[in-house]
Amino acid sequence: MSINRRRALQLGGAAALIGLTGGPARAEDTDQEAVGGQILRQWYKVVLRLVRHTATYSPPVASRAFAYLGVAAYQAVASGSTSLVSLAGQLNGLKALPPRDPAKRYSDAVITHCVMASAVKSFFGNTGPTGQRVMAAAEKKLKGDATMGLPADVVEASLAYGEVLKAAIIDWSMDDGGAVIENMGFPMAYDVPKEPGRWAPTSAIRQQQFPLLPTWGENRTFAMPSGATCGLPPPPAYSEDPASGFYGEAKEVYDVTRSLTPEQTAIARFWSDDPMLSPTPPGHWMFIANSILEDEKAGLDKTAEVMMRLGVAMADAFIGCWNAKYQYDLVRPVTYIKKVIDPKWEPLLITPPFPEYPSGHSTQSAAAAAVLTFIFGESYAFTDRTHERDGLGVRSFASFTAAADEAGMSRMYGGIHFRAAIEQGLAQGRCIAQHTIALRTRSST
Amino acid sequence: MRLRLTLAALLASVGPALAAADAPVVPVFVEETKSSGIDSTYTGQWQYMVGGGAAVFDCNGDGFEDVLIAGGEKPATFYVNTSSRGGALSFRTHQSGLEVDAMTGAYPLDVDGDGIMDVVVLRVGENIVMKGKGDCSFARANEDWGFDGGDGWSTAYAATWEKGNDWPTIAIGNYIDRTQELEPWGSCTPNVLQRPKAGAMGFAPEIELTPSFCPLSMLFTDWNNSGTADLRMANDREYYEGGQEQMWRIRPGEPPTLYTKADGWAYLRIWGMGLAGYDLDGDGFQEYAITSMADNKLQTLKEPPKDGAAPKPTFKDIGWPKGVTAHRPFTGDDLRPSTAWHIDFQDVNNDGLADLFIAKGNVSEMPDFAMKDPNNLLVQGDDGKFIEMADKAGVASTESARGGVLADFNFDGLVDMLVVNRNTPSQIWRNVTPGAGNWVQVRLSQPGDNVNAIGAMVEVTTELGRQTREVVSGGGHVSGQSGWVHFGIGGAKAAEVRVRWPGEDWGKAYALDANQFAILDKAATVPAAWTPPR
Repeated sequence: MSINRRRALQLGGAAALIGLTGGPARAEDTDQEAVGGQILRQWYKVVLRLVRHTATYSPPVASRAFAYLGVAAYQAVASGSTSLVSLAGQLNGLKALPPRDPAKRYSDAVITHCVMASAVKSFFGNTGPTGQRVMAAAEKKLKGDATMGLPADVVEASLAYGEVLKAAIIDWSMDDGGAVIENMGFPMAYDVPKEPGRWAPTSAIRQQQFPLLPTWGENRTFAMPSGATCGLPPPPAYSEDPASGFYGEAKEVYDVTRSLTPEQTAIARFWSDDPMLSPTPPGHWMFIANSILEDEKAGLDKTAEVMMRLGVAMADAFIGCWNAKYQYDLVRPVTYIKKVIDPKWEPLLITPPFPEYPSGHSTQSAAAAAVLTFIFGESYAFTDRTHERDGLGVRSFASFTAAADEAGMSRMYGGIHFRAAIEQGLAQGRCIAQHTIALRTRSST
Repeated sequence: MRLRLTLAALLASVGPALAAADAPVVPVFVEETKSSGIDSTYTGQWQYMVGGGAAVFDCNGDGFEDVLIAGGEKPATFYVNTSSRGGALSFRTHQSGLEVDAMTGAYPLDVDGDGIMDVVVLRVGENIVMKGKGDCSFARANEDWGFDGGDGWSTAYAATWEKGNDWPTIAIGNYIDRTQELEPWGSCTPNVLQRPKAGAMGFAPEIELTPSFCPLSMLFTDWNNSGTADLRMANDREYYEGGQEQMWRIRPGEPPTLYTKADGWAYLRIWGMGLAGYDLDGDGFQEYAITSMADNKLQTLKEPPKDGAAPKPTFKDIGWPKGVTAHRPFTGDDLRPSTAWHIDFQDVNNDGLADLFIAKGNVSEMPDFAMKDPNNLLVQGDDGKFIEMADKAGVASTESARGGVLADFNFDGLVDMLVVNRNTPSQIWRNVTPGAGNWVQVRLSQPGDNVNAIGAMVEVTTELGRQTREVVSGGGHVSGQSGWVHFGIGGAKAAEVRVRWPGEDWGKAYALDANQFAILDKAATVPAAWTPPR
């Protein structure tokens, strides 16, 4: 790509660069658009690695970073675009962002690179020494790719604007309720209710005796009004009566998990997406989107818009899901089944350390699928390679909805969710996604 | 001092070690770093964020434990122990030939069985086996012994003598590919096993132990009390993909094979950093402590067989009920999760119950984890639970610790403590615990090549009960020792000791008086009393 770009520059002259404010569309524009798309996707690959290897990055925290990074990259492009519309005024709390200087020439690719490099350092400043080293190496390499052959004034103006834009995005993020994560998201004190049916700790890990991020549902949302916007009906009433609906749901989990097929086991593990051992559930969907964009050789505009919409939808999904989780504070299957059905039962997956209803993976997967369906279409078949390097193989899907449905059911196969949490979670995700889909991104829409 | 051949009636009914005291004696240590002459620092950038070990052994035959401390980017430092019995800890720097750079850690091992300790040096780069030449001097022996030092980032080691072999088998654990700036994760490089060359002195070409999941500790250990050691690995989940903790089945003449789920091996994925074993409950099967970030683990067999059958390698975590999770600083204002490295079981108050030391220290400015992370000294009570006493004992250092060794450096019967820190000087404390119990210390020797009886089990029995320790070469965090095996025996005036020599059944029991050093030579008919020369 760099060679093509250099060739394009040779052909068109250094002044004829894509993304230069006010410049007409020309052959180099396409090249610049492609380079920018590649650079942004490269940054997302780095981000997905950092999510896995940064201790505070539980799924909700990861979704938040994906949202802000997506908005930052999108605004990097929209700030100089005649077709992309700014999200200022559309996203909660996002006011007018600093404009570009009409007197200067810019490169969208360089601004995007700069915004991502700088924002990634902000969001992952707490990563370990290896992550720090990777961030530095990525910045060096991608800066070289982005700026190759560009005039110095373009590079200088673009880098400076990228820093200004990043600062505005970070400033916007600071008061949303999720900026500070302590003790890896586990409160230092928490009153765990003792009544039957309420969440109880499910592991012998000391840090996880209190539930993860109990106030996350109160965070400022991005595209939907609040965490309570897509509220859910209550789960089946808690009961230990074998004739009750609640018992029936638990018995279903028990029976299913005791006779798992190899396919069901594979599905459970494929969507397990454990923090610090994977890019987390929202990272799983970011990986899917990034791969599709890569396969399609998508340009910067589309890459930025897709990743923004996906990030925003999943961040809202986690806020909405957490809002409901702590509203209903429901017991996990492992607690109930051991107490009521079979004390020796063990789920296939490690039970996450927070309340059961609804299923977070279901909510956010449905939201992600809805957004991707909106962009790519109803029957967009794809192959998911997220966990190929972890030895979990690949899975192919006929549509995003099919993938989300499978992600939801994986939680029952894994023994960590009841059916109601899955079905209502999926419904909640679809509801939440509509607020992201409603964002106006194109001047013609 | 006297030695008796047997103690009558003492063994009629023995069980797990039980201390008589209601509450553990509080250990007391005095830091003597500045006066001791220990003045080295493990330092270096990214490639030295792990590592920082020490090797402790006797290099000059005076019985005192001498010390090699890795320097990271700087050359290692070797210290000859000049302490006197019961006196202050004292060391002098000695040019030994071990002053190599890029050292992450080291373990003593008499590779060629000549009775002079050799040293296996782990490095960022080529590992080196250093042959002991006597008088505390060492020379490279890679070529002479066919040892392939590789060019990795070595962070773990373990050695054993496989049955029938007259040369050790050495396992080396390698960390990530250090050339991978953009893709370091998932780049764990192969671990290797170097077995003896058939029919000749030296090592055969190495065997790769893959999949490799970036171990930070390895231990050949007889986990199932079968008389044969397998290879446990504590793997760092930060870097592996699709990985987990591992245990390799190592059988003479056969390729190594991993224990799997079908065997009963239970899936565990932690930031494995250090390993130590000890039979805490006296059931004949060791418990294993594994250090990590946040919660640390203490594993015991899930279903220990009661009928002499072979156990399955299924372990369960008992860290919390036993009080050893040590998941965050226990003192100070920094309540962020801990980062744990070296780990070792030693009885620091001589009450007959093994205590647990854990070295703590932030990896490198990781703000999600404690920066002021005190080391732990978890003292076992008579109910089998551990009580944090590092602050009371005076060893709650908040330097960024990595490796270390607990050993009796001044032969007063109390286990002292050496800790290697990253980027600040190593520290050493003398154990001066008032009211500590009695003790015995033994050193094993046997004819043949495995002169120090790596793989042996030593059992000490008193009226308080029975304690068993495995003689290992490996484990901890890139730190190891070879020499005296220490047992506290509380108020007992005597103890009975017996050895299960490698590859054999339990030997004859001998009686030792309390507070006695003895050399147990397999070829001798009785233990040899030993007295420190100064």
